Amino acid sequence: MQEVQRKIREKARNLLLAGSVDFVIGFEEGALLLRASPVFIHKENDVEKLIWDSFCENNLAAYLTKIGNKRVAVVAKGCDSRSIVALIVEGQIKREQIVVIGIPCQGMIDRRRIEKEVEGEILEVKEKSDEILVKGDSFEKVFKKEDYLYPSCRTCKHHNPVISDILIGKEVKERAQVDEYAEVDEYEKKSVDERWDYFNKEVNKCIRCYACRQACPMCYCEECFVDNSYPRWLEKGLDSSDLAVWHIIRAYHQAGRCVDCGSCERACPMEINLRFLTKKINKEVKNYFNFKTGLDFAIPPPLATFNVEDRQDFIDSGE
Amino acid sequence: MRNPYLPIPVKVKKTFIESEDRMLKTLDLIFLNKENKENFKFMPGQFCEISLWGKGEAPFGIASSPLEKDYLRFTVNRVGIVTTALHYLKEGDGLGIRGPLGNYYPIELFKGKNIVIIGGGFAFTTLRALTKYLLAYREDFKDITIIYGARTPGMLLYKEELKEWERREDLKVCITVDKGDKGWQGLVGFVPTIIERKAPSPEDAYAVICGPPIMIKFTLPKLIALGFPPERIYTSLEMRMKCGIGKCGRCNIGRFYVCKDGPVFNYAQLEKLPKEY
Amino acid sequence: MKKISKEDMNRFIQSLLSDYTVYAPVNIDGIFSFKPITNFQGIDLNYQNSKKPPKEIFFPQSETMFEYEKGKVTSAEKVSRKRILLGIRPCDAKANLLLDNVFAGEDYQDVYYINKRENTIIIGLGCRRPLSTCFCTSFGGSPFSRDGLDILLIDIGNKYIVDVVTDKGKEILTDKFTEASEEEVKLAEKIKRETEKRIKSEVKIEGVKEKLDTMFESPFWDKLSERCLRCAVCSYLCPTCHCFDIADEAKDSQGRRIRNWDSCMFPLFTLQTSGHNPRPTDKERMRQRVMHKFNYFIGNYKRAACVGCGRCILNCPVNIDIRKVLKEILTS
Repeated sequence: MQEVQRKIREKARNLLLAGSVDFVIGFEEGALLLRASPVFIHKENDVEKLIWDSFCENNLAAYLTKIGNKRVAVVAKGCDSRSIVALIVEGQIKREQIVVIGIPCQGMIDRRRIEKEVEGEILEVKEKSDEILVKGDSFEKVFKKEDYLYPSCRTCKHHNPVISDILIGKEVKERAQVDEYAEVDEYEKKSVDERWDYFNKEVNKCIRCYACRQACPMCYCEECFVDNSYPRWLEKGLDSSDLAVWHIIRAYHQAGRCVDCGSCERACPMEINLRFLTKKINKEVKNYFNFKTGLDFAIPPPLATFNVEDRQDFIDSGE
Repeated sequence: MRNPYLPIPVKVKKTFIESEDRMLKTLDLIFLNKENKENFKFMPGQFCEISLWGKGEAPFGIASSPLEKDYLRFTVNRVGIVTTALHYLKEGDGLGIRGPLGNYYPIELFKGKNIVIIGGGFAFTTLRALTKYLLAYREDFKDITIIYGARTPGMLLYKEELKEWERREDLKVCITVDKGDKGWQGLVGFVPTIIERKAPSPEDAYAVICGPPIMIKFTLPKLIALGFPPERIYTSLEMRMKCGIGKCGRCNIGRFYVCKDGPVFNYAQLEKLPKEY
Repeated sequence: MKKISKEDMNRFIQSLLSDYTVYAPVNIDGIFSFKPITNFQGIDLNYQNSKKPPKEIFFPQSETMFEYEKGKVTSAEKVSRKRILLGIRPCDAKANLLLDNVFAGEDYQDVYYINKRENTIIIGLGCRRPLSTCFCTSFGGSPFSRDGLDILLIDIGNKYIVDVVTDKGKEILTDKFTEASEEEVKLAEKIKRETEKRIKSEVKIEGVKEKLDTMFESPFWDKLSERCLRCAVCSYLCPTCHCFDIADEAKDSQGRRIRNWDSCMFPLFTLQTSGHNPRPTDKERMRQRVMHKFNYFIGNYKRAACVGCGRCILNCPVNIDIRKVLKEILTS
């Protein structure tokens, strides 16, 4: 980790000194424990702020849609790099503008689970190679990293960046045998009523803060459908039907575009299970179109193109 | 405790298309309840939030003076959902208003002084209210000059009244258009140019200027150059509004709310505020 | 000072339910919020603070203002049942006083807010374990402040010391509230003093307004808004934020007018129908947020719109810390 951190700083300094980029987007130490915070480095003196640890949970590709014509270096984990590919395929940024500092990722720690399993506030954190040691006023506990990863990290099959201009760190062995849709399969076994009750319970926690939308790199619409007034698709309050519509349509807009980075879940202050629908949609897209987002520059997203062989059995022929 | 969010019921007395492109329409509204009418006391410069059942609310400057007792006049530019619905109203249709809201032109300060009223386009609404008021108490004020410009003669508001005012001896009226038409006999030129030409004297005078931001941007320096000090140049600002009573937080410029501490401000006040409008 | 045992307190709360709607902290999947309870067992007081601030008891996130049908308007301003707000922290109680400036000030009375405020008795619970993100003391508060409360409860173990602050609070006491002994009161005072010392986070607010007066055009805002995601987490979870939107939800001319929380961080907040937006980018919106809380609000009401509850720091998806921001403002 320390070595990776040192190299990130070195590469960032070189890029800035050479004038290859206008600024570097990376992570700096968070204001809170168990957190890191995105940072924009404009001057080579500031590169010492850059860090790398198991709390670098944000998807920095979310910032790439507002860089305009600037040239930018961005620190990217496996999932983040797929978002970058997806954004390039959708024409939102140009490949030449971005210097991808790829970091093979071991997974990010689910800080909320750790916080829930201790009695009181965590006052000290020490990260070791495969453990996190936390201390509070009346407790001291050790957590094995691999047992406390975020749900999206536990089923990740792309730890290594799929593109990078600079690759820092040892390659991580991908786990080909992990079934990333196991959770979806479990839900599918439940009845429609059970699934609806679960979904309804989750979305009724929503406070329409749109943190999920803002944290997601693929939500870059200048005017989101919730703000359309003509036609007005849904209202802005906490009516149950509006909450359901907001989440359902957002999930649909992610079809063929979501990389399952989990940033939405991590950003949500109400801890809603936001990957419930997107995970299912990802599975459907994989089954119907044999497509996973962000792996190949040459393949357009399935909902932005068509193929003569596409299935048509769902179209009512009217007979 | 009166609920400041409840609209007062009114209905449409008369509608009138003002402009040749049909986007500007005047509505005269009357109260359904006598009590509401008697309690509604306002001054030129104030506005109302007009409520259309099922569509929403929007703020409009009151274009009639408090002495026009039989109606409240508003001129509406058709740009969105509420304004389009307002354009479709017919005589007798019901709607609601909340008001009077905001502050008003400082008539007390204007007493005994020369007044220069400058308007552009469809921002002339509250200036009509002001003019009618000043004319009703004509002896209280010295010289009154009106300079009003629109894109074409067909875009001028209140054309009949403008003609009446031009005929008066106690009023100096200069109507100008950016581009004339076949019948146009009056001035041609942008408002800032006309100001320069007519050069109203700043001596013992107040100026009131309402218009699109681009017009104000070029007219204001002309007034300053003529010698009008910022504290004697008044304007009426516009902002996106919802509550109209200083609670929803969106129409602020610095610590002032345009709906509550405005919309009338003078330029000395505006110079001290952040340029966020 | 009075006292009451915790079991008697539970019975007391249960007895209130027949005449009052009681809002108390409820734990759902580890997230605490103030909800109406049907039984004292639904209450979980084992918490630091609620996720959503209790301002929603007086200023709900979605509130119907009135309904209308063919021009006939029915206002929803009446409060049908008296309410008790139990377990609010002193920082949030202080925030209500700040909101009173906006909603119940001299100009225009917001009947919806005022009716709820007047019909609610507020029983606060002093904080025994402030977090490292708490900085109420920097804004004139404290873990056991009485401001904005009708009754303050101080947990001293198996009982509460009850500080009755107002007549409104006195009226609901029963004979189960007995006089506290001198030792018990001394213990409560000791707990108060020690807890206050545990608040390590210190934020200098003096001079911030004056510094901000000079900073409107500063490049400081470009830098600050770089990492902000422009969501509304900080605005919605803040106990002093009060911006809202008004909308009509209707079919033809039958429907209702509703107000919903809104945030200055959203792009539509100041967008005019002409397309002109006085705050076109993130920079202006971030500037507005900080200026409003630490400059404009002080200009209007002589107090900063912050009570140091720390919710914005704990919940910001990119870990922006307002304490750091204030420090940078003073040193920039």
